Amino acid sequence: MSVLDTKPPAGIADAKAAAASLASSQHRRPSLGLMIGQPLSVVVVLAAWAIWRSQAELDSIEQRQLDWGLLGRLTVEHLKLTVVATVIVLAVAVPLGIALTRPRLRRAAPIVVAVANAGQAAPVIGLIVLLAIWLGFGFWTAILALCLYAILPVLRNTIVGLQGVDRTLVEAGRGMGMSNRSVLGRIELPLAVPVIMAGIRTALVLVVGTATLATFIDAGGLGSLITTGIRLLRYPVLISGAILVAALALLIDWAGRVLEEITRPRGLG
Amino acid sequence: MWDYITERHAQLLYQSYQHLSLVIQCVLLATVLAVALAVFVHRNPRVVALAGGVSAIGLTIPSFALLGLLIPIAGIGTATSVIAVTFYATLPILRNAVVGLAGVDNSLIESARGMGMGAIRTLLRIELPLAWPVILAGVRVSAQMSMGIAAIAAYVLGPGLGSFIFTGLTQIGGANALNSALVGTLGVVLLALVLDALLLLAGRLTTSRGIRA
Repeated sequence: MSVLDTKPPAGIADAKAAAASLASSQHRRPSLGLMIGQPLSVVVVLAAWAIWRSQAELDSIEQRQLDWGLLGRLTVEHLKLTVVATVIVLAVAVPLGIALTRPRLRRAAPIVVAVANAGQAAPVIGLIVLLAIWLGFGFWTAILALCLYAILPVLRNTIVGLQGVDRTLVEAGRGMGMSNRSVLGRIELPLAVPVIMAGIRTALVLVVGTATLATFIDAGGLGSLITTGIRLLRYPVLISGAILVAALALLIDWAGRVLEEITRPRGLG
Repeated sequence: MWDYITERHAQLLYQSYQHLSLVIQCVLLATVLAVALAVFVHRNPRVVALAGGVSAIGLTIPSFALLGLLIPIAGIGTATSVIAVTFYATLPILRNAVVGLAGVDNSLIESARGMGMGAIRTLLRIELPLAWPVILAGVRVSAQMSMGIAAIAAYVLGPGLGSFIFTGLTQIGGANALNSALVGTLGVVLLALVLDALLLLAGRLTTSRGIRA
C-alpha cells in the first residue's frame, strides 16, 4: 500500500482519487469498532436527542420545525435523494466503466476519467446553484447535481477494479472455452466487486452529505432544518438538523460497509 | 460576463484573495496538527485503528452539518469557517501521515540510531523527510477539499468566493444571477488549480533529493 501511495499524484483531481484509492486499497476487514461501535454510538446519540426533543421546552416556531411528522418527512426526502442518486450513478457508472475496459474503448478510459476528475474539482455548491439557474429548482435538478458529483468514484473504481484482475485468470477462462460475456460475468466482475463496492460506498457518503445542500434549491432533505435554524437563529432547530444529518450520514456509511462485506465474493476471503 | 467581471474586479480580487488565504492558512494549520498527531499515533500503535476510525467518521459528517454545529459555539462568520475547514483539512493529512510514517523502512531508523541519532533527530532527519511525499499527497487532497468547504461556509458569512455563488442563488431570475454563480464557481476552480500547482512546486523544493522521482 505504501508503495502505491508514495507516488505523488500527477494532476490536481488525481489528489482526490489518491484518497479514494487509499480508502479502497484497504482490503483489511473493517475493525469491530467500525462495524458495531459506530452504529451503536449513533443510535445512542439519536436516542439522547429524541429524549431531549420530547422533553425540551420549545417556543412555537421551534415546535413547528421539530414536529415529528415533519422530521420524518424530511428524513424520507433525504433518503430518497440519496438512494435515487446512488442508483442512477450505479446504472450509469458501472456499465460505462465496463465499456471503458473493453479492448475497443480502452484507450478512451484515461480521457473519460480526466474529464470526470475535472468536474470533481468544481465546488459542489456552485454546481448545484448553476444547475438550478439552468434547469430550475427542484428534486431532479438536485439529483442531477448529486449524480454528476458522485459518478467519479464509482466509474474510477470500476475501471481500476476490472484492470486489477489477473490477466492469467482471464486467459484461463478463455482457455476453458468461455465466451467474452461469461469471462466478464463469471471471472472479471466477481473479482472486481470489492473495489467497485468501495467506490459505491464512497459515492453513497458523498451523496448523503451533499444532499444536505439540496434545500438551497427547494429539493428538500434534512438540510432545511439547518438553513431554517440559521435564518431564524433557533439553535435547537439548527443543532437538531446537524445531529440528524450527521447521524444519517454515519448510518449510511455503515450500511455501505455492511454491503461491502456481504457482496465480497467468498473466494476472496 | 466579461462586463460583470470588469465591473466588479476589485470585489472579485478581494474575495479570491480571502478565499485563498483562508484555505492556505487552514491547510497550514491542519498540516502542523496532523503531522503532530500522526507522530503521536505512530509512537502509540494502540491508537492507530482509532485514528483511522476518527478520520473515516470525520470525513463522513457532512460539512454543512458541522457548520451548523459550530455556529452556536463560534458564531456566524470567519471563526466558524476556519474551524470547519481546518477540521476537514486535518483528516486526509493525518491519514496519509500515519501511512507515510509506517512506510519508513525500519532498517533506516535502526541505522540512524546506530549512528547515534536521538529519537527527535531520527524523526526530523529520517522519518519525516521520507514520509513527506505521502504527507504532501494528503495536503493536496486537503487543499482541494478545503476550497469547496470554504465555498459552502460562505453561507454562514465566511470569507471568500462562495459569497458570489450564494448571491447568484438569491438573485435567481435576475440579470446577474448566472454571472455571479459562474464567476464564483470558476473562481474556486481556478484557485484550486493555482494552489495545487503551488503545492506541487513546494513538493519538489521540499522533497529530499535522495527520494525525488
